[in-house]
Amino acid sequence: MLLSHGSLGWKLKSSLYIITGVIAAFLALPIFFIMALSFGSSQWLVFPPPSWTLKWYERFFDNSQWIESAITSLQVASLTSIIATLLAIPASFALVRGQFRGRDYLYTFFTLPMVVPVVIIAVAVYGTFLNLGLTGTLFAFVASHVIIALPFAIISIINSLRLFDKSIEDAAVICGAHRIQAIIKVTFPAIKPGVISAALFSFLVSWDEVVISVMMASPNLQTLPVKMWSTLRQDLTPVIAVASTLLILLSLLIMIIASFVRKQSNHH
Amino acid sequence: MSLQTNTMTQSPLVCLRELNKEYGNFTAVDHINLDIRKGEFLTFLGSSGSGKSTTLSMIAGFETPTSGEILLNDASLINIPSHKRGIGMVFQHYSLFPHMSVRDNIGFPLDIRKVAKDERDKKVDEILQLVQLEAFADRRPSMLSGGQKQRVAIARALVYEPEILLMDEPLGALDKKLREDLQDELRLLHKRLGITIVYVTHDQDEAMRLSERIAIFKEGEIVGLGTGKDLYRKPPNAFVASFLGNSNFLKINVTGAASAQLDKHHIILDDLHVMPINQQALLMIRPENLQILTPEQAKNEALINGFNQISGTVNESVFLGESLTCSITIPSGEQLISKNIATEQPDLEPGSTVFIRWNSKHSSLYSKWEQSDINKNSAQ
Repeated sequence: MLLSHGSLGWKLKSSLYIITGVIAAFLALPIFFIMALSFGSSQWLVFPPPSWTLKWYERFFDNSQWIESAITSLQVASLTSIIATLLAIPASFALVRGQFRGRDYLYTFFTLPMVVPVVIIAVAVYGTFLNLGLTGTLFAFVASHVIIALPFAIISIINSLRLFDKSIEDAAVICGAHRIQAIIKVTFPAIKPGVISAALFSFLVSWDEVVISVMMASPNLQTLPVKMWSTLRQDLTPVIAVASTLLILLSLLIMIIASFVRKQSNHH
Repeated sequence: MSLQTNTMTQSPLVCLRELNKEYGNFTAVDHINLDIRKGEFLTFLGSSGSGKSTTLSMIAGFETPTSGEILLNDASLINIPSHKRGIGMVFQHYSLFPHMSVRDNIGFPLDIRKVAKDERDKKVDEILQLVQLEAFADRRPSMLSGGQKQRVAIARALVYEPEILLMDEPLGALDKKLREDLQDELRLLHKRLGITIVYVTHDQDEAMRLSERIAIFKEGEIVGLGTGKDLYRKPPNAFVASFLGNSNFLKINVTGAASAQLDKHHIILDDLHVMPINQQALLMIRPENLQILTPEQAKNEALINGFNQISGTVNESVFLGESLTCSITIPSGEQLISKNIATEQPDLEPGSTVFIRWNSKHSSLYSKWEQSDINKNSAQ
């Protein structure tokens, strides 16, 4: 076997570096490309840009539609994050601690939105909200985003709850604390990193969601990805590159916070 | 803290009455009855799945009995939730609160009880001093050694002055040397405080070292209850004999009130045994109660009244420093293990003929047993 051949070690090593580098570039280049274009002067997105400019950023921040959709995105993502996390906490306790028939099936059911094609969920919620006359409302956005964010929140909290030694909570109970008190004072601080991750990932899921949002959107209420989508269909402008850059930067920031929280919890 | 009062006449602190716990078809605890005396150190000893931990959990209130009664000072605990039982407990992995300092861990039960700050601080300081952890008061549990964690766990369980302290295999995860140190520490602490301790372990040495009384659990029942000494010297049944220490088992036929037939040998029994005559019985002798004599020694030393003697052939003898163990085949084909102080024992060559003597008073006799009882279980 090539892999176990000692004399080829250095070759293998360097080829591994090259392959890793190529994959990383493959993943990251579009992002750098779009970021570069957002500062490029060419209206036709010529690459490499003939010169550098901030005018597309000015266009973005001067346009109330872009700003409003960004604010809507933040609102929807924040609400989705809070609601999904609040729902995921009791659900996770039930799925980890509960002693009932069909618990494992329930877990599969709760994580189903991760597997079902988003477009199917999108059509289903669209049909439902259309019947109820709720499309184009903040409620519809948040409710539909909670559906796809919930599996991530539940998995994140379940993982930290499974790692938590329940006897620590029992210790608090035998010390005189009511079960609820013990959970709040002892269990919750211990699973906090999981809960924070749940909130961050729920936020991210909602923040870059486009398929469902396109169906939920109305001319008056749309999220940033929807605005990008609809703009893209009309014309190609570097302002889209600006929106993409901002979208990526916030996602990146949240990923960094999430990995920081994970590191913190590993220190325990 | 109360003084140790260990009078038998006093009513028990905790009573278990026909306590039963079933999980579906599986009986974890099978109608046990037990009185726990005030101030005693009682150990539940048994292998895993014997029901010892389940019983402890029922006393703590983490498991609900299927039927039966638990009384603390003659009052039922059954419908009282864990947090209102006022029981102290030390868990297997100590279960300290990782996000709190040692001081706050110990203060937690007082904070929950809304004890005034001055009094809370005073009590925490007192108990920190008692367990000699003043210097570590502001550390997090992750910064402590195993022994220090145990002391914090004990301090946290004692700070609200419970009447009884439950300990669930608290030394299970530690290495042998540290375990022994902590066992000594724990025994001293018990003597000093006089608190009632119920301790769960699967380690018979630990049970012997720590406890005043041992309750031996087997398949959800208590099959032996008494001091370590009594249980070791006069095991109530073959299981206890086999579980606690090493033992030799011989099948004999009882021929009279104090006599029996072992293979072709006539042997005498301690006349305290009351056995049905002309039936098979099981004789148990501890390895250290077997004397091994060379044919010459046997000739020179007269057989003392009450002693038995049979012949045998040495298989193997192993020198263990302070002791010498010897495996011997007797004419019936059965093997016996002896263990004697090495300095008093001549060298025994494999194949040589020896004589085995034992005092009939230092043997136990059972009319009923199961084969699984006497197959030495090495679940330790």
